[in-house]
Amino acid sequence: MSIADLPKEQDLVEYKVDRILEEANTDTKIVVLARQDDALDTFPIWVGAAEGNAIKLAHDTMITPRPMSHDLVKSFAEHLNITIQRVVIADVKSSTYYAMVHVSNKGLERTIDARPSDAISLALRAPCPIYITQDVLKRRSTTNLDAWLAKLDSKNIGTPEVQET
Amino acid sequence: MHVKGLMFDPYNNAYIVVLRDEEHADMLPIWVGKSEAGAISMSLENVTPPRPMTHDFMKSFLDAYNAKVISVVITDLSEHTYFAKVHLMYEDSEYTVDARPSDAIALALRSNAPVFANNSVIAKQNSEELDQWLENLKPEDFGKLDS
Repeated sequence: MSIADLPKEQDLVEYKVDRILEEANTDTKIVVLARQDDALDTFPIWVGAAEGNAIKLAHDTMITPRPMSHDLVKSFAEHLNITIQRVVIADVKSSTYYAMVHVSNKGLERTIDARPSDAISLALRAPCPIYITQDVLKRRSTTNLDAWLAKLDSKNIGTPEVQET
Repeated sequence: MHVKGLMFDPYNNAYIVVLRDEEHADMLPIWVGKSEAGAISMSLENVTPPRPMTHDFMKSFLDAYNAKVISVVITDLSEHTYFAKVHLMYEDSEYTVDARPSDAIALALRSNAPVFANNSVIAKQNSEELDQWLENLKPEDFGKLDS
């Protein structure tokens, strides 16, 4: 896999935003990440509606008349000469994913704790790669997916619960 | 200006951030979306969420390199859109960054930075926005704050 080119980061796997699904009945969206190297694996992350919109705007490369919140973060980075290097989904605890945004400025590297939604939103705008650690991939949360699938079962199968947007 | 609070605007289905200048009794209502209002209200109510919200992350981003928010200024009002600038101090230089007022205010509240409004904005708003909003209000809009 392509990640082997990065010797220090052998336990990171690169993903891209594949699509953003809308859940019709709740105030959430599902960001579906897919492996960058086209190996068949998708990684769904549940986010709030506003967070999902912020990701969708960037994914669809929509230009908004005014800078959205993550455009502002990018703008800060540009003004201060901070390079947004990568974002890493680095941990999962009680069905919550934790992300780190890796930045550098004049060789000084820093990592910033973030929600995956903010990290992904920023990664699409930077742009910079999105990684998931092997550890998270092994321990990925199936709780949300199970709950969601259970809900699907109880509904009329003829009605699509999730619409691709 | 002080951030006095948030109101729900039933006519536009949006929220209004009310800025007030105590000395001159000037008021500046700024219309913002629901999630933007949420970001401001969390700061006003001193709520610490379990995970960093977008503007908490924004502040961490600046903190990572010791960049400080000196002030935010509501600079202009044009065709119902407010414009703001975030003033940053970083390594003895000052930077001015274009922002939406909602982002600027949410960040200022988290950074304990002052919020200013240009006099021209207050003057324009007095003539333009509020009148129109009041004209649009219908009697039945009152008393529907919970909708």
